[in-house]
This record gives sequence, structure tokens and C-alpha cells, in this order.
Amino acid sequence: MRKFTAFNRAAHWAKVTFLLLFLSVGFIAFKPHQSGASENTNPEPALLSILQQELDRAMIALGKADPAAYFISYSVTEVVGSAIIANNGAITSAPRRRERVASISVRVGSRDFDNTHGGNRFASLSINIPLEDQPDAIARDLWLNTDRLYKRSAQTYQGVKTNTKVQAAEEDSSPDFSTEKPSIAIGARAVPIKYDQQDWENKLRRYSAIFNKYPEIESSTLLLLADEPTKYFVSSEGGRVVTSRPLIRIIAVATTHADDGMELARAETFEASSIEKLPPEQEIIARIEKIAIDLKQLRTAPVVEPFSGPALLSGRAAAVFFHEVVGHRLEGQRQRGSDEGQTFTKKINQSVLPSFLSVEDDPTLRTIEGVELSGRYDYDEEGRPGERVELITNGILKQFLMSRLPVKGFMRSNGHGRAQVGMSPAGRQGNLIIRSSNSVPDSKLRVQLIAEIKKQKKPYGLYFEDIAGGFTMTMRGMPQSFQVRPLMVWRVYPDGRPDELVRGVDIIGTPLTALGRIMLTGQKLQVFNGECGAESGLVPVSAAAPAMLFSEIEVQKTAQGRNRPPILPPPGFEALPSQAAPTTKQERR
Amino acid sequence: MFARLMCIPFLLGCFAFATVAQHGAGDGSSTVSAIDHKDPLLRAMLTELKRSQQKLQLGEFQRPYYIEYQLFEVSDYVANARLGALVQDRSSLSRFVHVVVRIGDYKRDSFFREGTGAVEVMPIENNELALRRQLWLATDKAYKVALTGLTAKEQMLKNLVADSTMPDDFSREQPVDSVLELPRLEAQVDRWKQIVRSTSDLFRADAALDYSMAGLQFRIVNRYYVNTEGTVTRHGNEAYNVMFAGSGPAPDGTRLDRSHAYFVSKANELPTPEDVVLETRKRIASFELLRKAPIVEDDYQGPVLLSADAATAVFESLFVPNILGNRPTPGSSARVSGEYASYYKRRVLPDFFTVVDDPRPQKLDGLTLLGSYSVDDQGVKAEPITVVDQGILVNYLLGREPIRDFAHSNGRGRRGLQGSPGPQISNLIFKAANGVSFEELKRKLIQMCRDQGRPYGYYVETTGPGLAPRLLWRVYVSDGRMELVRGAVFDGIDTRTLRTDIIAAGNDRYIHNMPEPLPRSIVAPSLLFEDLEIKRAETSREKPPEYPAPQLGPQRRIDQAP
Repeated sequence: MRKFTAFNRAAHWAKVTFLLLFLSVGFIAFKPHQSGASENTNPEPALLSILQQELDRAMIALGKADPAAYFISYSVTEVVGSAIIANNGAITSAPRRRERVASISVRVGSRDFDNTHGGNRFASLSINIPLEDQPDAIARDLWLNTDRLYKRSAQTYQGVKTNTKVQAAEEDSSPDFSTEKPSIAIGARAVPIKYDQQDWENKLRRYSAIFNKYPEIESSTLLLLADEPTKYFVSSEGGRVVTSRPLIRIIAVATTHADDGMELARAETFEASSIEKLPPEQEIIARIEKIAIDLKQLRTAPVVEPFSGPALLSGRAAAVFFHEVVGHRLEGQRQRGSDEGQTFTKKINQSVLPSFLSVEDDPTLRTIEGVELSGRYDYDEEGRPGERVELITNGILKQFLMSRLPVKGFMRSNGHGRAQVGMSPAGRQGNLIIRSSNSVPDSKLRVQLIAEIKKQKKPYGLYFEDIAGGFTMTMRGMPQSFQVRPLMVWRVYPDGRPDELVRGVDIIGTPLTALGRIMLTGQKLQVFNGECGAESGLVPVSAAAPAMLFSEIEVQKTAQGRNRPPILPPPGFEALPSQAAPTTKQERR
Repeated sequence: MFARLMCIPFLLGCFAFATVAQHGAGDGSSTVSAIDHKDPLLRAMLTELKRSQQKLQLGEFQRPYYIEYQLFEVSDYVANARLGALVQDRSSLSRFVHVVVRIGDYKRDSFFREGTGAVEVMPIENNELALRRQLWLATDKAYKVALTGLTAKEQMLKNLVADSTMPDDFSREQPVDSVLELPRLEAQVDRWKQIVRSTSDLFRADAALDYSMAGLQFRIVNRYYVNTEGTVTRHGNEAYNVMFAGSGPAPDGTRLDRSHAYFVSKANELPTPEDVVLETRKRIASFELLRKAPIVEDDYQGPVLLSADAATAVFESLFVPNILGNRPTPGSSARVSGEYASYYKRRVLPDFFTVVDDPRPQKLDGLTLLGSYSVDDQGVKAEPITVVDQGILVNYLLGREPIRDFAHSNGRGRRGLQGSPGPQISNLIFKAANGVSFEELKRKLIQMCRDQGRPYGYYVETTGPGLAPRLLWRVYVSDGRMELVRGAVFDGIDTRTLRTDIIAAGNDRYIHNMPEPLPRSIVAPSLLFEDLEIKRAETSREKPPEYPAPQLGPQRRIDQAP
């Protein structure tokens, strides 16, 4: 199973060769929710009534069928999006997108045992429905596909019933669907994001031209993504929810290669709920410049040596680290099913972190330290209100991130059933926040790091400035380890020499061991906003953590990238020499 | 992604000795054109091409002997509607470039497996530096994959018995300079969106249809091409497509489908709204006829008449793939990979047939021919080619990859938006020397059936996917009346059938336009087969819905934009 956050995602984006795909694949997934949606203060949108009427018809009929459906829901995402993409000072694409995607869910059997049992969790069906509120056209699409899905679900249900009879009893015999009180909340439709196309095209030309100054940079891309989805949800339990939340992002990515072939990538994202809330231009430009400067430095930085010793993670790096190694393993569905690793399944009420650390996930939180959080939402994809969940309190594991799939000991959803448009929901993170009661002012952490290096008699320690998400294996049969991709890592020497940038760093080890080695934290929370991919697709997430001092982190040399840098200098730098071709002195793995 | 990134240098390292050799840039005779026709896009392409030709070399490895850039600029307008409501409505403009770098020489080169080039997104603005940067990256990538491709090719050849008759890898062709004015979208998109909406609303007339739609796709593809042999071309084509479709179950649970599409290359050739309404109503009315039509229960083997429409579909699937000069897998002694590999200068159709592939005409009988062009996607001029002369196969269609006995391209190296250029038809026109009227063909059909003591013969009016007849008629010997039947498929129709069983053809013709993956047309007359099998289709029957369809509202007047 592969998971990644915005950095990887963005780097990948830069490589997407077919912009035509934009319209068919879509550039951003859904975002549920909107700020300030209160109950029933808004007029009911026509679409919701159309959905409701057809849902009632379907439920009356299929509720009496054999086998009977006991739950049906329609979830429609109205996607209205636009993007501007630029390379090296010119616009590459400026697409717009408008569509309505309906996800249909039909559950056959009963809550205790239904067609989604075992390996059939992802049983919804997605279709495009008309953009206009024309009742019979929409109703017909829903009817035809609900009937199809019912037939498929009924067949699956008969199949899993037979299978379960012939197989050994399951370890976790929890029901397949939780009992919940339906939510009714009619929020306003998304207010269209307005921006001056000409003005922003000019800005993106300027921002993307920054990289033209640096001959070291190979590919680079600037994106402005504006997404303003409205979500409509109705269920046969009586749930009725309309939510929306605009999201604007600017993403800058650039890549280069070191002479030995190591691929190096840096990215920056700026996210906000409106154009006005984006950071000031000077800040955006400064951070784009920093990408280029970082890459220039990284190209010639020495490759890291295998090392085990004290390390300091910036708040941002620690946030990504926790998202990958803790957050994903606390997703409810990972505690159930024979192919899951279940790192934390049996550790409820046991210590999993040092006692000074607590972890919560709070999708209702709007900002931290003035930074807007991307992982916020009011209602999840199953129409449940997003709840603040204390996952780990003072080092003790308390609960999981729950969708409506119960696991042993946790029978209810806590509003974390999330999914990309058109995919079936699963327990996912929203805003993951790590808090500490053993902290020192951030300025003191470096002193502590150096003291620890001296105590351990190590030649140096490491400072992780930035980390991109990596690959977290949570499935059985794969090593229960993690690998995150530290992007900016510095050697910190105890004798006062200046810090030294190294490249090609991989953190290795098993999660529980690594977590036990956190000694101390800083005080200021740093936010990482990004996009996270897993079985239910890409969802926007945030993670916030203080800087953390580890007594020991184990790193190895990365295996990424063996391609040579471009042979000729880039256009505009024709006078520079071509790449020498080191054919004999290549390092081999 | 990691695996892909790692494999190239790995191979380079391992097989370095095999590929190291000193070569000049090409054979010295070829050079990049200096004429950019004052087109900033061509200028950027030629500048970067020239720099790459002069300087691109990795260490001791060979330099490219050939580089080409083909840039596509695609404008798309897509809309579709169901029951009067728009479901999709979008437009896009994008550019991307295919770069091919060839290492080695014309006889044996690197265009193999990974070595077939690179694709990169391009700015949609004519900013020379930004354009050149993307070309620079794509050229570098294409050169590196070419090094890998050459190594793979050499490894592959080592495992084959040396064959001196093996054709060259790449043909030598004359450079071409052909820069044309580019087309612009001429259709009124908003007006056509309204037509699509109102057309889709017509399907309310038949409440038993569970799915219906009407849609449009207007696409302009402009192609810019330069290579290191001095070729510079620029041309574009328009394709306007308007279509509608309906689908619903018959009472016995088999699915009935009807659809119709208009493909034209000029906006003024699009049908009138009245014509669209008429054709849509005709298709909708045919559902009721089909539901009432009896199902074919018995297998039939005997005379069958195919309409010109059905004939083009048969030729598309059984004839076209076999006249393309696609090389067989390495090591095979066959001439081409298709079924006509051993039919060069042999009979493939009855002797009254002549088949010409002609890219010149843009119209026939006043109707669009979609497959027209002047220079192909490898910069080779295209002339008409006789493929079949009096039933004998005399030519294959070729791009710049030669096959035995055909050392040169005949200008059919064509490329869709994806993949590499390869042989394809342009406008493939079937003519029968002794064509007769459709009525005459029908009379012949009846006469043959009468002679064989049959109560009826079959007439195929139109076909769907897999050549399954959509409108199939029994033609009764007794009184010539036609009865619509359904639920039947052809059995055993193949290239042999085409060679031996067609006994007559019409003097009519149908133009079958195919816009994707690249614009092509087939023109053919009605065909009378002496002996064809028609049998009952083994289609799955759907269970009826668990609950009735929602009520349909009355038909509406749609003249307001949503």
C-alpha cells in the first residue's frame, strides 16, 4: 500500500505528461464541508430534493426485495474547478472543470452482516449525473444504477454468506455497519471562487520564470488550483447534508539530478480558503527562490553515510513523520481484516508513545498558529459530523480514526469516513495534531541536540528541516517499517562547525521503536498541509507538531534515481559546458 | 517510477562496451532547415533541434543520426446531454511534443522497445525560452532511452540468425517543406450545445429506453513537425462530431442499441438541426420495431446482402488491418504481421474490385472524407496508392519502417495523439467494376434464394460492435417483403469470405468516417455474399429492474441556455 503527501504528489504532478488527462482524471479530489454550516438555516437545494425523492422510491422497493437492502445513500459532489499551470514563464494549460459525480451505496443484509463484509468494503458505484437540476434526467440515472448496484450487492451478499460459513471464525466479529443518529445540516452552496484570470496568469508566469535563473534546475512547474465543491448527501436513515468549502492552492515543484544520478525534488504548497488569504507575494516568491537554492545546494551536497544517533526534527518534519508512522496505523479499518498489519490493534490503553506526548485528530479546527488547515471539514463522506478525537493521551492509545466500519471495542463512527470523489469511504486522518507536555523553547532545542551528541560521543547529529511523505507498509506480509523521504537534512557538529547539508537520506526502522526515542519537544506547532493517498483515494489533510528531539534515529542512503543530469545546458545557458560523462566512476548498488 | 528511472543507467553501465562507437551526426548530408516561416513555434523547435544535432552526445556513446520533433496543439470542445440536461460541458487547449532520437544508422538503429522517444507537455504560449526548455528536457530523455533501445536491439539481434534480406530499420526520404495555414474552430459551440440538449430530449418519446444521450466533440489538431533531415511541416485538421445513442431492454431481456454519428471536417458540413431531429426520431422509432421483431432462432447459411454502411464496417475490421505494412516480430520471415503477409500479388478480393487509398480528396459526393492530408506524420508526401488492382493485392501502406520489397515510405506513417507513427489508411475507397443498383442486388438475392429453395434471405442494414447486425431484415422470396428480426450474429466471416464469397457489389457508396485515434475514411458499395452464416446470438439476458423507472416528464422546448 502506498501513501504519500503533497510533496510526492506535487512532484509526480510535474511529471504528468498528458495535460489532456486533467479533465478526465481531475486535478483535486473532493473537499467536504464548509465553515459555519449550521442546521437548516439555508433553503434546501433542488438537487437534494431530487435525490431524496428517488432515494425514497428505491428504498421502498429494494427494502422489500430478496435479499433486502437495509441502507441506501446518494452522495453527489458538484465539482467546479479551475487551474492555471505554468512552466518557465509561460502558461502550459488553464483548464476548467465542472461536473457532478454521484456515489451510490446500497447495503444488502443487515448491519451485523452485509454485502460489504470481508474483502468487499469498497462497494459503491459512481456515475456522472446532469449538471442541471432536471428531476427526471437525474432520477433516471440514479434508478438505473441503483438497480445495477443492488443486483451486484445482492450477489456479493450471497457469496460472502456462503464463504463465511465455510471459513474459520473471524478474530473480530464486529458488525459491518455502525448504528448512528442521522445528521441533518443544510449548508450554503459554495460561493464561486473569483479571481482575475489575466492577473493570475501573469503571476504564474512570473513565479514560474524564477527557475529560469538557475541552470541547475531541470523541470519545474507552477500550479494554481481553485476548487469549490458542494456536496449533497441523503441516506435512507434520514441523513440530509449539504456542505461546501473552497480550497485554493499554489504548488511549486522543481527537480534536478546530482551528478551521480540521484533525483532531487523540492516542492512548496500554499493553501487557503480564498485568494485573499494566500500569503503575500513576497513570501511566495521567497519560498520559490528557496526551492531553487535548496536544489542547487543539494546537487553538490555529500551523500549521507549510514548513521544512527541523535536527531532533531523540525515541527514540519515531525508532523509528516507522525502522519506516516502513527496516523495511518490508527485508521480503523487497519485494525480489522486478516491482511492488515494491526500494529496498534491490541494496544488500546497501553503506552505507545512517551508519556509527555498526546495525539488528536480534529477536523473541526480551522487554523493553528494562524495557518489555515487543509484537513478540516464539518461532515465526512458518510454524512457524519467530523469529531475531535483523542487518539493517544499522555502516551496511552485510546481510540482509532473511525468510519462507519466498526472494529472490536469501537462500535461508532467518529466522523473520519473520508474518500476522494467517487470512492468508498474509509477511516482517514483530517487534522492530526501532536501536543507535548515536555517542551522547551524552540531556540533551546539545538543546545539540547548538541548536548546529546556529546553525551553519546557521536561525531555529529542530524537536523531534519523538511520531510516528504514516504511509503508506509501497513499490510501483513510486508515489513512493518516505514520509509519517509527527508528532503533537507543537515549534519550538526558539536564543535561549532557550520551545519552541513547532506542528501539521499532515508529514515529506517520500526515505528514503535522510533517513537520511544523521542526525548523532548519544542513549543511552537508547525503545520504541514498536503494531500494524502490511500485506499479511499486522495484527501486533503493537515498535520501539526512541535519540533522533536530523538535520542536516536537510524538513517541509510536512499536508492532513488540513477539517471544522469541533462547532457546539454538548458536553453539560455548555451555557453555552459555540457555534462561530462563519468562512465567509469559510477557508483553501483 | 523508481524502477523506470533506475533501469536506464543500469543498462548503460552494463552494455557500455557494446554501444560505444564514434559516429558523426547522421551521415553528414542531412541538416536542419533554416527556414522557420516566421512561426515562433517552428523557430523554437528548429533552434533546439539544431543545437541537439550539433552537440548532443553522452561521453563516448554514439551521437544521434536522426532527431524529430512533432508538436501537437489540441483544442477540444466536448458536451453531452441526457433527456435535455447537460451532463458534460468542457473545453481545453493543450500542447505536447513527441521527440524521437535515433542512434545507429538507417540500417540498424535504436528505435526499439524503450527507444521509441519521449513525450513532454508544452506551453500553449509562444514563449521561445519556455518552449525550448521543454524540448531540451524531452530531447535529453529521448536520447537516453535511445541508448537503451540500441543496446536492447543489439542484444535481440545477437539471438537471431543473421538474415541479410532483413529490411532497413528506417527508410531514407526526401526532405519536405510544407507549411500550411492552420484551421480554427468554425462551429458555433453554444448553438450546438443547445442542439445536443434538445436532441437528447427527444428520447422522452420512448419511456422504455433506460439510457440515452446526445453529444458533440469538436476537435482541432494542429501538427508541427521538424527533423534533422531538413523537413519542416505544419498543418492541421478539424473534426466535428455530433452523435446520439439510445439503449433499452427488449421484453425478453436482450439489450437493444441504436446510435448515429455525424463526422465532418468542416463546420458548414454539419447537418441542419431539422436533419438531426429527423434522424433521431427515425432511430427512436426503430426501438419499437425491434422490440416487436422476432428473434432469429435458426442458423442460416446462404446468400446475404450487406448495405454499403455494413460493408464499410466489414472492411474496417477484416481488410484494413491486413494491408498495413506493420513489421512482424523480429526473426519472423513474414513480410507483415497481418493476415495478408503472404498475399502480395495474390488475390484478396473478387476480380471486379479495385481499392485505392487516396489522401487527396476532401469530399466525395459532396460529403466529408475525414482521412485527407498532404504530408504524413513522418514528413513524407502522400500520393494515392492502388492497394488492390482487380482483386490482386499490389501494395501495402507504409510509413518509414520498410518491409521486404518495400524500401520506402508511401506517406502513410500516421500518428494519433499517442504512440508512435505507424502505417494507417487515409481515405480507403473500394470500387466495383460491375456495380449494380441496390434494387438489382436485392433482386439477385431473391433469385438466389428462390433457386436454392429458401423462403427468405438476409439483408444487413447496419452493424454494431463486433460486426453484430443491429438492423437485420429477412427478405422474403414470395413477395419481396422485408421483415425486421433481431438477436443474430455473423458466424465465420473472415478474409477468406471476402476473397471468395462476394459475388456482386452495388454502384452505391457509403462513407464511413472514423475520427479516432486518427482521422480516416472507408468508402464502399453494398455487397452481395453468396454464402454467409448467420446464427442466433448467445447474448446474456438482463433481469428486469427491481422497481419501475421514474416517471418521464413531457417533451420540452429547449431554446434557453441552462
